[in-house]
Amino acid sequence: MIEVEHLSKSYRGIEAVSNLSFRVERGQVVGFLGPNGAGKSTTLRILAGFLGASSGRVRIAGFDIVDERLQALRQIGYMPETSPLYPEMKVREYLAFRAELKGVARTKRRVEIARCLELARVSEMAGVPIGHLSKGYRQRVGLADALLNSPPLLILDEPTAGLDPNQIREVRALIATLAEEHTVLVSTHILSEVEASCSRAVVIAKGRLVAVGSIDEIRGRGRPELTLVLRGTEALVRATLSGLDGIASATVEVHGDTLRAKAILTAEDDAALGEATERIVRALAQADVGVREVRTTTATLEEVFATLTRDDMNSATTDEAAP
Amino acid sequence: MRGLWPIFKREVFAHFVTPLAWVAMTAFLLIQGLHFFLIVQHFAGQLDLSADAGPVQTYFGQTMMLYLPLLFVCPVLTMRLFAEERRSGTIEPLLTAPIETAGVVLGKYLAVVLIYAAMWLPTLLYMLLLSRYGEVDWHVVASGYLAVLAIGAGYLAIGTMTSALAKSQLAAALTSAMAIIGLFMIGVGEFIFPEGIGRDIAGHVSAWAQMNDFSRGIIDSRRLVFDATVVVLPLFITVRAVDAWRLE
Repeated sequence: MIEVEHLSKSYRGIEAVSNLSFRVERGQVVGFLGPNGAGKSTTLRILAGFLGASSGRVRIAGFDIVDERLQALRQIGYMPETSPLYPEMKVREYLAFRAELKGVARTKRRVEIARCLELARVSEMAGVPIGHLSKGYRQRVGLADALLNSPPLLILDEPTAGLDPNQIREVRALIATLAEEHTVLVSTHILSEVEASCSRAVVIAKGRLVAVGSIDEIRGRGRPELTLVLRGTEALVRATLSGLDGIASATVEVHGDTLRAKAILTAEDDAALGEATERIVRALAQADVGVREVRTTTATLEEVFATLTRDDMNSATTDEAAP
Repeated sequence: MRGLWPIFKREVFAHFVTPLAWVAMTAFLLIQGLHFFLIVQHFAGQLDLSADAGPVQTYFGQTMMLYLPLLFVCPVLTMRLFAEERRSGTIEPLLTAPIETAGVVLGKYLAVVLIYAAMWLPTLLYMLLLSRYGEVDWHVVASGYLAVLAIGAGYLAIGTMTSALAKSQLAAALTSAMAIIGLFMIGVGEFIFPEGIGRDIAGHVSAWAQMNDFSRGIIDSRRLVFDATVVVLPLFITVRAVDAWRLE
């Protein structure tokens, strides 16, 4: 549905998006993740045809966004960040204007507008001037606009920004229902949102792709952690741990008469994790360190996100990104 | 041209809900009313009138008061068109709708042309008033309005262009006012420059000379061609400017 190839965009010499490539297949709900300023909005604006790329190409349902602009735009329902609207128009008037722009046939307009008002849950505000609406309702009007004419692809830029927790839950539920008929690309920096509503994610940082794949795959890129409660001398524990393979880094703290050690492991799957745990415990026991507690934790998406976007420059080069 | 009609409708609607449009129209009509009053009072004191120097001819061709307000009203009508959409961000949903840039530009432009024409409409009452108390040459009235429309259409196209080029409404209004006044001043050169090409050019682009001709019923196609140029060229630049925003 979306093919992005070697996309770059510079603003006055500053590179906002750099050599970005990824694909979104039909029917997927994809989270577009990245810290603030990572280039998310810029990328989405290019996908929606608002900005031109400095280099690279974008195809929407096979149509080039530059060369076959109108065909490509007809496939997209785009909701820009903060959902800018005309304050002097009433909600229904605005949607009627948008429906006409999007080529909804005159006879179908009423029904189509009612359907989108209902889906975005703004029916009760249909007769209110947009300028009088709260931020939450404006976002929903933007969403209703994106849904007009049932485009196969929805591109939503931060649809939950500025909403209260109840509204966020509603939007999330809405995205889940939309997933049945539309391909959805939704940007956010709230990770729980992605875990709740998306099957896949594209993660960018500083304009570069750092990860793409299913949520589980991305979560699996985080390193597991081993927490140990031990009895023995700090120096002995340190020495033992530093002599072992499979440990990326380790910290040891004294807690009363016990020690607490945390080791970040290099293991990439559950078998390797178990094996490494076994090896570490055995080595500690052989060194005559009392092992009182062993706990392994796998990384949450949040931690993975933090690692991925922090040392983005290294991981970008080793990424298994789609062509 | 996809998008033209819905944008035209929305733009007309948007003008009539902004107070500024009503202020501009009211001010314009007050000035024209005063203008007409002074002319009628002047002619009321005269005993015999020559055929081509009656109040209608004077209204359209002999005083500055007819188009001086245009130099200010046109920029006010056009300044919002693009500058406001860019400030508020609404340009983003607009340009990501499946429509052509030319449709956006023409829809907006034709909307202000309609409003401009609507602004002149009440002045037809002056003509009706005159016709009740004397002879009115309706050919002269028609050519007078044609000239007013043709000159205004050019000024509005210039304003549309500056609204797309400027970052704010104020900057758009100021630059279009300067451009329009500049164009008008070149025309005034007709009375200043010595005989030669300078004066010829000035005479050709002069709104004053055009109004003078048309107010006597002389419809010179060269003048209309010039007016059309002042419409087409700025609109063409506007389309290119809007397309160029993508590449910023």
